[in-house]
Amino acid sequence: MRALDWVIIAVYLVYVLVDGVRRAKGTREIEGYFLANRSLPWWAVGLSVMATQLSAVTLIGTTGQGATDGLRFVQFYFGLPLAMVILGVTLVPFLHGARVFTAYEYLERRFDARTRSLTSFLFLVVRGMSCGTIIAAPAVVFSAMYGWSLLWSVALMGIPTVIYTMIGGVQAVTWVDVKQMGLIVFAVIAVLVTLLVQLPVAPDHALALAGAAGRLRAFDFSFDVTNDFTFWSGLIGGTFLMLSYFGTDQSQVQRYITAKSVDEARSSLLISAYWKVPLQALVLLTGVLVFVFFVFQRPPLLFNPAEEQAVRAAEPATYAALDGRYRIALQERETAAHALADARARGDHEASVAGVDAFRAREADVGALRAEALALARRVTGETARDVNYVMPYYVLHFLPIGLAGIFVAAVLAAAMSSIAAELNSLATVTVIDFYRRWVRPEAPDAHYLLVSKAATGVWGLFACVVATFAATLGSLIVVVNRFGSFFYGSILGVFLLAMIPRARATGAFFGLIAGMATVAAVNFGAPSVSWLWHNVIGAVTVVALGLVLSARGSSRR
Amino acid sequence: MSDTPKPDHGRRLFRRTLLRVMAVQVATLLLLWLLQAHYTR
Repeated sequence: MRALDWVIIAVYLVYVLVDGVRRAKGTREIEGYFLANRSLPWWAVGLSVMATQLSAVTLIGTTGQGATDGLRFVQFYFGLPLAMVILGVTLVPFLHGARVFTAYEYLERRFDARTRSLTSFLFLVVRGMSCGTIIAAPAVVFSAMYGWSLLWSVALMGIPTVIYTMIGGVQAVTWVDVKQMGLIVFAVIAVLVTLLVQLPVAPDHALALAGAAGRLRAFDFSFDVTNDFTFWSGLIGGTFLMLSYFGTDQSQVQRYITAKSVDEARSSLLISAYWKVPLQALVLLTGVLVFVFFVFQRPPLLFNPAEEQAVRAAEPATYAALDGRYRIALQERETAAHALADARARGDHEASVAGVDAFRAREADVGALRAEALALARRVTGETARDVNYVMPYYVLHFLPIGLAGIFVAAVLAAAMSSIAAELNSLATVTVIDFYRRWVRPEAPDAHYLLVSKAATGVWGLFACVVATFAATLGSLIVVVNRFGSFFYGSILGVFLLAMIPRARATGAFFGLIAGMATVAAVNFGAPSVSWLWHNVIGAVTVVALGLVLSARGSSRR
Repeated sequence: MSDTPKPDHGRRLFRRTLLRVMAVQVATLLLLWLLQAHYTR
């Protein structure tokens, strides 16, 4: 990173902070602080919804996924447009029309206080921890790649976000999200264009190399419940996941209930439906082009410098031998790539077919050596090697032109900050509305609730930063909490689906929710090979089915 | 002339946006399919 890159990052951080804080003007009561008095235009809400969902992992991890695994991850999002349309005609009118602060508040009106409290408590536990991991994931990568200390990386993202979210409330979150979304899209397109310029072969030949290596395989129509990324798991499991996330998670619900009307709230969700799949495909394609770039530029055996150093120190002879074989394999792959590109340029069909086979074989050799190195890293460090997250930062650090590296890092910070801000805002809303105002102090002046809301935002921000700082040591705990989160996501969706069925009753909803979570936990431990994408389907279906049965039994007894 | 939007303005906006959403999805999936079919053997 050079001086200009640092200047760009500093300008971005100062701008975001100033822009967020000035949104505090006019926020005098909690309706304004949490819901912007339901006055925001649909396009701004829509971009905020997208920015909230797009985290730093999307820019770092998904590009890495594209480079190492190709386009097939895009299938994960196939259910999203469908989910948005379903939500637009089902839950959105309910939630916006109910004039509630939180999604869970609606559950008390429809069912009872225990269902509201249980769902909001689960939200606080899992979102509180996940907010820490959202900061931790890029912070760990930044500290490993760029030599920043972990504390400094966490502070760089956490402190400005906490300040503008605490002072400006939802107005700051939404309007800063709009600008952050613009920066992210600009950075992705800029990197994509730069890659196309940097490649020594024409884009058509670059795509042929990616295709030969299987990186352009976007569709897998096999029906395999153990595979995370197939057309069917994306379409069916993905629809349920997105319904759960966008329909029942307060960090998303709070975005669209700030819209001026039900129709504007619906239209704001359709912005995500519009752009999510194309944007995700673009991010993955950037990763695919990074793969092609590294066909012609020597990549390291391990992208994570910390793992590379650990392996070099622990097993220097083994690593040196592996690295030697890797250099030869890379040279052979590059030669095969040039041969294929030349054959295509000449229009020699037979040589092109032979070239594809030769390149594919050399790519398999490189892949086998990388797998060997990753296994070695796992053995030495005792941890699962997450090399995929370091591919893009390595490219940014070593090959992006001056200025663009700063823009990309600023975009990663923007992606992280937009998600953190929305989560802090929603965590504070649930804390104050579903717990403090509901159970501790039901009658108080608005100014008091506003003060408590700002304090809650600050406390959750501090908590998230502490979790992020200790993420390395809390690793297993965070995995447990995230896994626990996947148990209840689909089940909470089931409760909201029940809420729309007139004959569903409170007891059915509450015990259905518990049974849904227990069923998902049983499937998770009993059949761990079933992809987690199906957990949401199982949870939602169990809650609705059991909830209706229990509701019917309750009604017949009366 | 009044600046107040007509009551069905929002619904029209939703329907129009929905149609565009579907068009963009179909175009994206088609493009991805073409990429796969053309370059992956």
